[in-house]
Formats: sequence, structure tokens, C-alpha cells
Amino acid sequence: MDVERTIRALKPLDGQVVPIRTVQETRPQEEFGDAFVAEVNVKSASKVIKAIDTAFPKDPSLPLSHLRRFAKREMLPPPLKAAIESQSVPLAAQTQTIFVLISPPLPDITTLKALLAPFAPNTAPAPITNEVPEEASHSDPLTPNIQLHPIKIPVCPPFNTTQAETWTKTLWPVVFNPAAPRSTVAPPPQTLKRAQESIEPRAGYYLSLARKVAEEAEQSGLGRGVGAVIVDPAIEEKITEADYGAGYDTTAEWDEAVLAVAGDARYSRSEAGAPSQAQLHAGVSPNPASKTYNADIEGGPELHALMRAVELVARWRREHDRLDGVPASTTTTDPLKSELEQPELSAFESYFLYRPRPGTSANVSNPPQSPSSPLKRKHNDSNPESDLTIDPSTDSSKSQLHPPLPAPPPSTVLLADSSTPATTLAAPRIRTRSQGGYLCTDLDVYLSHEPCLCCSMGMLLSRFRSVIFPRRGRLESGGLSSEPVVGPVPDELEPAAEADASAFDGQDERGYYGLHWRKELNWRALGFEFVEDGNVEMRSEAVMPVFHA
Amino acid sequence: MEFKGDAVVAEDSRHGYFMKQALLMGEKALQSGETPVGCVLVHKDEIVGLGMNDTNRSMNGTRHAEFIAIAEMLQSYPRSALQSTDLYVTVEPCVMCASALKQYRIRSVYFGCANDRFGGTGGVLSLHSDSSIDPSYPVYGGLFEKEAIMLLRRFYIQENEKAPNPRPKKNRELNTRFENDNEEAPTTW
Repeated sequence: MDVERTIRALKPLDGQVVPIRTVQETRPQEEFGDAFVAEVNVKSASKVIKAIDTAFPKDPSLPLSHLRRFAKREMLPPPLKAAIESQSVPLAAQTQTIFVLISPPLPDITTLKALLAPFAPNTAPAPITNEVPEEASHSDPLTPNIQLHPIKIPVCPPFNTTQAETWTKTLWPVVFNPAAPRSTVAPPPQTLKRAQESIEPRAGYYLSLARKVAEEAEQSGLGRGVGAVIVDPAIEEKITEADYGAGYDTTAEWDEAVLAVAGDARYSRSEAGAPSQAQLHAGVSPNPASKTYNADIEGGPELHALMRAVELVARWRREHDRLDGVPASTTTTDPLKSELEQPELSAFESYFLYRPRPGTSANVSNPPQSPSSPLKRKHNDSNPESDLTIDPSTDSSKSQLHPPLPAPPPSTVLLADSSTPATTLAAPRIRTRSQGGYLCTDLDVYLSHEPCLCCSMGMLLSRFRSVIFPRRGRLESGGLSSEPVVGPVPDELEPAAEADASAFDGQDERGYYGLHWRKELNWRALGFEFVEDGNVEMRSEAVMPVFHA
Repeated sequence: MEFKGDAVVAEDSRHGYFMKQALLMGEKALQSGETPVGCVLVHKDEIVGLGMNDTNRSMNGTRHAEFIAIAEMLQSYPRSALQSTDLYVTVEPCVMCASALKQYRIRSVYFGCANDRFGGTGGVLSLHSDSSIDPSYPVYGGLFEKEAIMLLRRFYIQENEKAPNPRPKKNRELNTRFENDNEEAPTTW
């Protein structure tokens, strides 16, 4: 088959998978809150903490574990130290003290003072000789007095050591913990790393396929040159395991994990019974409409590659749930005729959506097939990332022990009564609803271009695990980038690369939404850019008008 | 349905009429087990597209009411007609729909209650007014807000049997109170 041969001949893109930073990471909103610092007897330190924690419950939504609870005098940031020393009544000479932080939510000052009074340094029961300044005068040890020094503290944890050091020097000692969950501001580093590692080996292939699909869309005159490829990382994992065990190249069967592909089809729709743009310019490719951006002939975002790919998965599932005999709402005809009007599927689109399951077709062109098909999907294996969008507040390592998806019935049961009894090991690539398939949960989508804002949100609403596009496919109208492309670090900078970076200068005016991971939104996905090796970036589609991908 | 005397509606009672039609679509969505969001597209004082959320039936999480209504309209009108068309939708358009409406160059949007989780016209982002390759559009919120919220509340006290992990909601009671006039919609969508 022609499509199969084309797929076999595809050369993967060479390059690196780079996480797209979140907008909060690129433009950290430094929020500061009010807090107090009080000097207490070092001997009472643990009692002080206990007293504070008991009396004033913490706000669980405001984790402040990046702030040190105590600071020795020499650890105080110089401005704070100066302020304290200018205000404080000098202490009894031999009392060793430490400074405690009282963080928000702040209690009433009188209550706080009363609570801390017993721990004031002057009431120290057993003075210890130490490096406390000699000039300290003697105050009345019977009048416990606690001084509260107002300070500002960073409410959110630091993103890096530099930020932590700056805050430590100016505000209050801060700890940078690279492993700490950065709440909803950025994906947990270990989650991001795990996904990146699973994406890296085959990303070049999937993006190469996305470009092929884009090319097909453009050649057909049905749309702009944009393509989308939906991949199931769980199938990738099976391939890797099976092939690795058999000593094969674990990327050779990359296409087995592809669930659906779709090209842009914005010119395919007939509106008000009039001929579509594709019909108007039949046989002409690329479609002349693509030379400019004229909103009236741009079709609509539901015809963009990503939205179409999502709809193909849904369509497949609707068809198969009907076959499974799932009753009720799915089979009723809708009075609104709400089914998305789709053009005829292209060769690539129908090949991937409806290709025979492995084992059902005799002429598999790739010999390295392990005895037990790698595609036997164990549905009771939960995807390690499936916790990703369920509840951002849960620790991912913890929730991994409790996979949120119920174990669907083993696929073999379902297949027993399917048309191919000989291939009980095979399972459909797309899980039906009765097998626990739900939208595009846990799937990855590879795109030839940065998706528009509409498609970026459609991606989130479809619950994808990750989205990947080549940096070269960035678009001014895109919804995922969070910052302009910056040149490589100086020591790696070559003259050609510098010219490269400046090619993106025009993008500075655009909005950077970083929609894949916004703390404000209910759903989040991991976003990656694919940075191609060499000077490929130079060949970016300079003549292409700005449009929505 | 109570007439709110909302400034926009007071100015022109047609707004009230069209929003009521959108609410009826939301009601229909509720009957079909969909998140109760409904909308109508109005071109030259005529309803040219009706939409309700269709994500459960279609198994496609992007099939929001706005897209359904636009698809219906385009059966009889060219895309360019959207430039002189207004949308009435019970809940603030989400980020996806807010961007789609901009790409489609909708003339203006009237909505019922705000969407502080996904809203794209002020709730979370303000795509309607952000600069982009398409022109901005005006947005008017708060038309029959309480009715829109009640629709959602009636939906969210039900269990979602289609979700992978339905949450038991046996002991929930329908909250019919409104603490103040500016109350936001329920927090989960």
C-alpha cells in the first residue's frame, strides 16, 4: 500500500524535545505577603513552633515550606538585621537567641505577643555564654517583652537558586527545592521528566508524519499545510518493552502507537449550499485561498488539524460503541444534526483510523515483531501520567498508587466475539467507551504547527497528556508558546544561529498564552517544542501569511 | 422566568427574549444529560442557529453549544454573515469558544453567568479584547444570570455516570439560594 510505503520511508526529524515553560515561569509573578519576625530564646525554639502551630492553624492552600522557620542572627538578611538592631532593646548579654518567622495568615498582634512572651530571650532560665555582643545592657528579666518586626516574605516558592538567594539576601532565608511541587504554577519536575523521556525516542517520527499529513492536506486543496498525529504513550511503552526484550530497535515500530492523524480541512466546507473553497479551486494546490488570511474563507477552527483529529477519535469511538451495542443516547438521532460535517477522509487519515489491527493482516512490512504482539494492551495497567490532570494538588507520586481510572475489562474478552477469532491477542488501538476510553485522556498530540488558541483549549478539554510541535511551526496566532525564542547560550552561539534567533524578532508582538499549563484553568497538559538540529530553522515558511493552525 | 431589569435587557427587551431561548436550549441539554449550556445565534433579529452542549453524546469534549449553533447557521448562511450576528449563551464562552467566536468574527456576545474556570471573555482570559489577527468583539454578561446558574446547579447535583470515576452525590441538596447578586457560577464545570 502506498501509504504504508510512505510511512516506512519517513525520515525522523533530528532535534531535541524541549519543555515549554509555563507563563508563570517565564513571567514569575512575585507575590509578597506580610509576616513577623520575633527574637526568642534558642532553647525554646521547638516550644515556640508548637505554640504557634497550635494557636494559629496554617492555610493549606498557602504552602510556605520554602521559608525557613528560624534564622540565626548572622543569617538574617542585612536590611532586616539592621532594622531589628536599630529597634530592639539590647538583650541580656548571655542569652542565646534565634529569630522565628510568623507567616500568614497573620494572627492578631496582641494574641501573638501574649503567646510568645514566655519565650522572650530576657526570660531565659539558664543563660549560656556565647558570642552575643558585649555591649548589651541588662534589662529587667522579669518583664518579658517580645518585639514583633514586620517583614515581607515571598508567598510562592522560588523557581531557581538565584531567586532563592536574592530573597534570602533581601527578605528572609528561603530554600530552593527543585523537587518540590510548584503547586499549579508549573508541572512537577518528575512528571515532566518522565513524559519527556517517553516522548523523546519517537518524537522525530511523529512530527515527520505530522508534516507528511500537512503536506497531504495542502496538496489536496482541502486545507492549509497543517497536520496532527495522535499517539498513545501506553502503546509506545508496550512496544519499547517488547522490542527491548527481544533486542530490537525500539523505534522501528513507532507507527504502531499512532491512533489517528488529521490534516487541516478549512477549505472543505460548503456554506449555505455554495461550493466550498476546495470545490471552487478544484485541482489547484495549494489552495489559492491559503495565500492570504481572509477570515471569510478560513472555514473554522473545528476544521483545523487538531480539532479534526480529536473528532476522528470520537467518531471511531461512536461507531464502535454502536457495534458494542451500547444503547441509549449514543444511537439516537440528534434533532440538531450536530454531527460535525467532515470531508472524506484522506488516505493517511483513513489508513490510521481504520487500519487492521496487528495480526489481522498478513503482510506486515516490518519483520521485527515479537512473538507476543507488543500491541496487546493491558488495560489494567494505568498510565503513569494519568493522574496528571485529575487533581493538580495531589502529589503525583502518591496518586500513582491509586490510579484514578477504574480497570477496564481485559480486551481479550471483548475481542472473543469480534470478527477475527484467530487474533485474540490484538486489541483496538483506540479504547472504546466500554473499555474505559474517555476523550483523549492520557494521549499525546504531535502537530506540524503551534495550534491556535481555540485548538489549544480544545486540546485541554480533550484531556491530552502532552502536546508537541516543532519550534519552526510557531505561529503568531498560537496558544502555547510562553516566551519569544531566545538564541542559544553564548558559548554555543554560532553566527548562523544568531541570524536564526533574529528571524523570530517579528514574533515579539504576539501574545504568549502558554495555554497548556495555566494555573487558572481546570485542565492542564504538558507542552513541548521540538527544536530541530542545524540550520533548519532558517527555512521557516517566510512567505506564509499569519493564520490560525 | 423573572425579568431582571438588567440594564442591557431594560434597554432592549429583545435581549431578554433571545436569552430565554438560549436557556431553553440549556434546559434541553440538561434533559439529554449534557452540561446545561445553551445558546442561540441572532442575525437580523432572527434566530439562525441553536446550540446546546453535545460533549457526552458525541464523545468529543470540544463539541460545545457555540460550535453546534455555528454549524447550524452555516447550513443557510455564509461565514461572513457572522460579522452581523450576535450570540446569546447561558454561560460565558470558554477559552476555546471565545477564540473560535473571534476567528468567526462574531459581532457581539451576551452571556448569563460567568465561567471562572474556563471563561475566555473575562472569566479567566479576555480573548475577546486581546489584540490578535482578528478584531475584538464586545461582551455583555449577567443576563438571566441566576437562571443560568440554577441550570448548572441542577446538573451538578447529579452524578456523572459517564465519567471514569463518578463521585457519589447522594446527599447533595439543590441550593436555591443566592447570597448576593454577583454570585459566581459553581466552581466545577
